[in-house]
Amino acid sequence: MTGVVVGKRVIGADSPVTVGWENIPKVEGGPFKRFFFSWFQPVALFSLLAFWYYAPNSIAKASTAIWIGIGFKALLLALEWVNPRYESWKLTWKEFVVDLFYVGLGYTILDLVDHFIGSDVAVTAIQNNFELDKLAWFTGLPLLLQAFLILLIFDFGQYWMHRGMHNWYPLWLTHSVHHYITQLNINKGAVGNPVELFLIGLGIGGFFDFLPRAALLAGAIGMTTGIYQHINVRFNVPRWWRFVFNTTEHHSVHHSRDFEGSRSNYAGTFIFIDRMFGTCVDGEAELLGMEGGRRMSIREQMTYTFTEGWKTMKQKLGKSGGGSIDDLPGGAVPAE
Amino acid sequence: MIAALRQGGIDMNARFIDWIWNVRGSVSLAPGQSARQAFDRLDPLFHEYGTTYTRSDDTLVFEKKDQPAQDKMSVFDRGVLTIEDGAQGPVLTYRLTSRILLFCFLAPLLFLAFGQLSVAVANWEEAHMTPAEKARIEKKEAAKKDKVLPQHPIDKFLGAPAPEAPKKDEKKKDGEKDEKKKGKGLSPTPAYVFAGIFAFLYLVGRVLEDRLVHRLFRKRLNHDALAS
Repeated sequence: MTGVVVGKRVIGADSPVTVGWENIPKVEGGPFKRFFFSWFQPVALFSLLAFWYYAPNSIAKASTAIWIGIGFKALLLALEWVNPRYESWKLTWKEFVVDLFYVGLGYTILDLVDHFIGSDVAVTAIQNNFELDKLAWFTGLPLLLQAFLILLIFDFGQYWMHRGMHNWYPLWLTHSVHHYITQLNINKGAVGNPVELFLIGLGIGGFFDFLPRAALLAGAIGMTTGIYQHINVRFNVPRWWRFVFNTTEHHSVHHSRDFEGSRSNYAGTFIFIDRMFGTCVDGEAELLGMEGGRRMSIREQMTYTFTEGWKTMKQKLGKSGGGSIDDLPGGAVPAE
Repeated sequence: MIAALRQGGIDMNARFIDWIWNVRGSVSLAPGQSARQAFDRLDPLFHEYGTTYTRSDDTLVFEKKDQPAQDKMSVFDRGVLTIEDGAQGPVLTYRLTSRILLFCFLAPLLFLAFGQLSVAVANWEEAHMTPAEKARIEKKEAAKKDKVLPQHPIDKFLGAPAPEAPKKDEKKKDGEKDEKKKGKGLSPTPAYVFAGIFAFLYLVGRVLEDRLVHRLFRKRLNHDALAS
């Protein structure tokens, strides 16, 4: 395999990756289907923005957001059924159960852990210790700007955390588990070792005060843009959209079995962050995973981070010479 | 003799519950189809990533490890397929074992445990909260309630409703004063919801996967019989 040169890197040398938007297939079918799958994403985004912007205070609350989120996910699951991007990614009962198990962990035990050691706890402790107030000027900004900044601040942090996970072996140990998935579906973003799920949720948003409606708007933007990272639906993504937002196409490259491809497209919501830092690759891939498509069991997903870490530590301690952790076999090439 | 009876008893007991994670069934072979032809026709199913199998004249035993989602039998981890003589002719009988079915069956218990853990932690927090901490939380909440939230002129011009403290918080303060103090944000409800979802998913999966694998074998055997 020769691959395609993108910047200074060769993408697709190890495993097939389609590079360039012009090479990506379009939605096939009748005019209604093509119209629907061309406009669904922008219409969903702007409809929800309008809803949260103008909804009366009695409706604009978290419980409404939860129900809308559940309904939107159910709709996307139906779209995966109607217009899959790849047949090989079609959701099975087993995949759905496993994905939902991780979603469930996020809402229960990880939430409980966050209650004690999450970033909000750390931020509150710092604020209490130094008698700091939240940055109140933030609430004086226009609503949409607040919402955008909430998302951008979080996504910027997530970009570097994610990039760190692909470049520093101890962090890679936590994140590698997520890269053993062999298909993308809307709940796949929740699959991973709990340590990683905890790390990726860290943010500094707690330092800022913002209007409740701005938080709901930020949630709506995040839901109607970031959710498409892991989705098995073929859309005709508008040019402006794919310039700004992360898409399934981008994220499938990130999950491809191609080493260089997987070291691209780190941002969660805003792909322009990758464009800024030279890590964006516009394209898509069907063959996903690690080790030729080996799928980890839930037990291994839970233990791999620790067992691999232990093995590496034993190797390091067994070595007579010093050396850094990056000298170790397996530690030298994270993010495969 | 006693050992054999005991063994039989264990098998019977196991069978009483092992339907939870085992799928059993049978498919009639096409007229004139031999055991060897039948296994030849099922053979591609066992050439998937992570699958190993052994075949004898009338039995096929397989095992799967780390099977990808794309494997049509990925829900099963091992199984035995046998060709037997039935009343109407030869029949393929199978017993397939699935860890994910067992996992899904037990998952509600796990989530119920998470729910109970949330309750226990919330109670523990309430019991161990110092008066100073309680006062600080109450002060914070009062300040939050009385706070006048600003609205940017652009939002006013565009017609967005004027901001106010979320209703939900006020409601909680009146009706669930104690809940607020004890373990803020620790609710067992999501855990109970997920327990219910997994119980439902188990029922769906147990029926669905049984039917899907039966249809898969039947199609393979009949389709190839037609082709030959």
